Amino acid sequence: MSYLNNPAVVMDNGTGLTKLGFAGNDSPSWIFPTAIATSQGNSTASKKMTSNSTSGSNATGNGNPYFGNSTSATSFNNLNSSMLLSNNLAGKRGTEDLDFYIGNEALIASQGPSYSLSYPIKHGQVENWDHMERFWENSIFKYLRTEPEDHYFLLTEPPLNPPENREQVAEIFFESFNCAGLYIAVQAVLALAASWTSSKVTDRSLTGTVIDSGDGVTHVIPVAEGFVIGSAIKNIPIAGRDITLFIQQLLRERGEADTSLRTAERIKQEHCYVCPDIVKEFNKFDKNPDKFAQFIVENQEKTQKKVVDVGYERFLAPEIFFNPEIASSDFLTPLPTTVDHTIQACPIDVRKALYNNIVLSGGSTMFKDFGRRLQRDIKSIVNNRIAQSELLSGTKSTGVDVSVISHRKQRNAVWFGGSLLAQTAEFKSYCHTKQDYDEYGPEIVRNFSLFNMV
Amino acid sequence: MLHLQPSNLLIQKTFSEALEANGSGSPLTFDRIISDFDYTNFHVSNDPENRDLLLLSVRTKAWQSILTCDNGSQGVLPYLAAKYTKLPGITVAGSAEAGFDYTLCIDLSQLTSETIVQLSLLKTNIMSYPFFLAFQEFATLSTKNPTTTTVTVGRFNEETGNVSSIDVSSTLYTIQYRDNENMFIKPSNDRITVIFETFFQDETDKVFGKVFLQEFVDARKRNRDIQSAPQVIFSTEPPLELQNHLPKGNEVGDEASKRFITFVLFPRHFANEELQFKTVSQLILFRNYFHYHIKCSKAYMHSRMRYRVDTFVKVLNRAKVDEDEDESGGSNYETKRTITGRKMVY
Amino acid sequence: MSQSLRPYLTAVRYSLEAALTLTNFSSQEVERHNRPEIEVPNTSAELLLQPMHIARSETEQVLIEPSVNSVRISLMVKQADEIEQILVHKFTIFLEQRAEAFHILRRVPIKGYSISFLITNKHTESMKTGKLVDFIIEFMEEVDKEISEMKLFLNARARFVANEYLGEFVY
Repeated sequence: MSYLNNPAVVMDNGTGLTKLGFAGNDSPSWIFPTAIATSQGNSTASKKMTSNSTSGSNATGNGNPYFGNSTSATSFNNLNSSMLLSNNLAGKRGTEDLDFYIGNEALIASQGPSYSLSYPIKHGQVENWDHMERFWENSIFKYLRTEPEDHYFLLTEPPLNPPENREQVAEIFFESFNCAGLYIAVQAVLALAASWTSSKVTDRSLTGTVIDSGDGVTHVIPVAEGFVIGSAIKNIPIAGRDITLFIQQLLRERGEADTSLRTAERIKQEHCYVCPDIVKEFNKFDKNPDKFAQFIVENQEKTQKKVVDVGYERFLAPEIFFNPEIASSDFLTPLPTTVDHTIQACPIDVRKALYNNIVLSGGSTMFKDFGRRLQRDIKSIVNNRIAQSELLSGTKSTGVDVSVISHRKQRNAVWFGGSLLAQTAEFKSYCHTKQDYDEYGPEIVRNFSLFNMV
Repeated sequence: MLHLQPSNLLIQKTFSEALEANGSGSPLTFDRIISDFDYTNFHVSNDPENRDLLLLSVRTKAWQSILTCDNGSQGVLPYLAAKYTKLPGITVAGSAEAGFDYTLCIDLSQLTSETIVQLSLLKTNIMSYPFFLAFQEFATLSTKNPTTTTVTVGRFNEETGNVSSIDVSSTLYTIQYRDNENMFIKPSNDRITVIFETFFQDETDKVFGKVFLQEFVDARKRNRDIQSAPQVIFSTEPPLELQNHLPKGNEVGDEASKRFITFVLFPRHFANEELQFKTVSQLILFRNYFHYHIKCSKAYMHSRMRYRVDTFVKVLNRAKVDEDEDESGGSNYETKRTITGRKMVY
Repeated sequence: MSQSLRPYLTAVRYSLEAALTLTNFSSQEVERHNRPEIEVPNTSAELLLQPMHIARSETEQVLIEPSVNSVRISLMVKQADEIEQILVHKFTIFLEQRAEAFHILRRVPIKGYSISFLITNKHTESMKTGKLVDFIIEFMEEVDKEISEMKLFLNARARFVANEYLGEFVY
């Protein structure tokens, strides 16, 4: 009975953020940076300084709404116990491997002298397995409070992850943690599954183009019947951070009262939207001063207020996806064109289905009307091509439907897709269990059967 | 992280969020599952009728055995009610949510951070009920039969771990907290014995577990500082306290590979309520703590082995014939290299 | 290094040096195949040489099986008790999982041994024989050391963990 009732654990470890939670929930229980602060071993000096800086920085973390929002890991911090921990372990030889923090606590701890911060995942792939193993250890036991023997796990991996990495993951999860069962899913496929919540989606197919835009990089990934078409994947070096930097640059040029990165980021999250036409939008702004917004920055004690005007960047910032030349000089291909190229690089029999189901995922696709604009632009590219080929061949085309799907779970689409799949009754039959692992060894995780949801 | 905390961090976080959101006037909608060790799940949801009320339901494997451990009088319900209703904003739901064992209603407008901490201890509180009964029984037993008279009869045999005192109490509280593992609590007139069954599915764990358990037994003898800790006894056979209670005859399969670990609590470990809570919350987490550290050791060994593999590969690569060496042998000038070992190209 | 270890390692070293005289040799049975003769069921006895078996004790042995173009070296690692058994098993599995990086490591040990290496003429052509022998010897030394260190670690950790747990009961 026991396994049946326990929810599966869904873990999405990304380059920047890790999302942890249980299948069946509509949002991850924990979202924190994929960071680990490890003790530097020999540094026993200045313990006091650590505690000072820790408590100090924690206070800033608490007071700041940016850290206090629901997606942030530790809005309150069990400071006493954590202080106790470091004091307990410091100086005891042979226990350095227990002396570490992950997530936001890691960021705080690394400000002291005795911890060094590192990010075990680089470009979506695990670089430092020692750190990753300990990161998982702490995620499971401290944050999720689960006994891995009692739970099934769903993990995610980037497209084109080498199978050796999967084997290493299996080695850690089955040998170290004895987890009951494991499924490793490709992030893009989960993002597709998450789009089933949208009312626009009628058939639950695993064919579509996923546009995954996080903080560092934007991927365009075609998926056919649950398989990623690896050769056609394209990357765009424009993502959330570039938009933030662009806003910051505009603020600085205008000489606003506060031009910190954090302010720029909040302006991005709260005020930016995608417009259908920049020239018209400029005119609208000039005619109608209501369009300009104001953003108020309060300092921690809420005693001082700074007023920052928000102007054209409201629509200009997201525009760099569609007209990259306004922000970057190296990369000039707009997102719609890249999507079109990606689909054109795929086998001809799936192209229609790929145009028909373009799914957005990740925080940087959350701008208002982003999907609508993308759909319009891709449609015009496709229609031009059809018109041209009709002209050349003289036959009538049946036409291609372009539809971009945006939905409410977009921000954590990958995690949410995992949660959807892992709560189904069949999920456990798709997993590899500890028994399978013991019998066949790590190479079993090279293959997972695909979810067939229809 | 060395110790596991008795409180559930995620419950704390969830309710803090709810409180914060409520304070800022935009209450959140909840329908969340939260888990804890030993087949315990929580469910946080909004009351369908009143949006200010949150429901916290719990389902745990141990519930059935705790409910019936006092001869079926279900004393755990008033016990928990007494613990929680005194806190502001908490009421006990008339009937538990479907599929769950126990439900609390939390009024967000009266929620305090102290209450949140108590909520996060819900599992610990449920599990502590049999301990609470044992403490009570101990109190009555010890007044009836003062320790002085039993010292002579109560002979403790450390080697076999058997207590040969005349047992004045026949009660044995059993908490079935996992499928194959139970926790037994036996009060007597001068001590309370807590016995854990341990069972390992994995071969490696079994061996590692043995090493760990042995150290638990020896730790108190070796280390003077923890002389006052409870005595720990390890045995492969069920201890005497259990022999009349365990089902007989199925000593095959699972039963055969079981180990028993006994903690002997002396009155000093539960002298007042604070100590009682500390002791109980530690004991409840014993299995989790113990398994957590087995896993940590395995993780550490993995990193050792990774390091070892790297050094071995380095040694092996030293054997590789450097193809450039032959070329440089023929030419007159020495190959110049940068400090990182790269070759200079002219 | 204990008294008997040195002669044991020296014996292995010299035997290996003698065995590692490999040459390119095409298969006599299958055209255009070139396979490690030691690994194939062989009908022609002239291709296989006398296997060498060096034992230090019941639990520490080396089997060297030479052939014309390949040598198979199998080690039995000391396993004094249950813990060492598990540790050796874990360690060798871990190594074999990464056999790709090891070139000469066999993914499966031959029966009765903990770990096996297969050195072919391809290896001796691209690597220095002397260094290969050094590697095997160093491996033998290090494995024993690693296993006993891990065992020590396990005990130390268990002690520490038990102390800390019981320490919570001291008021």
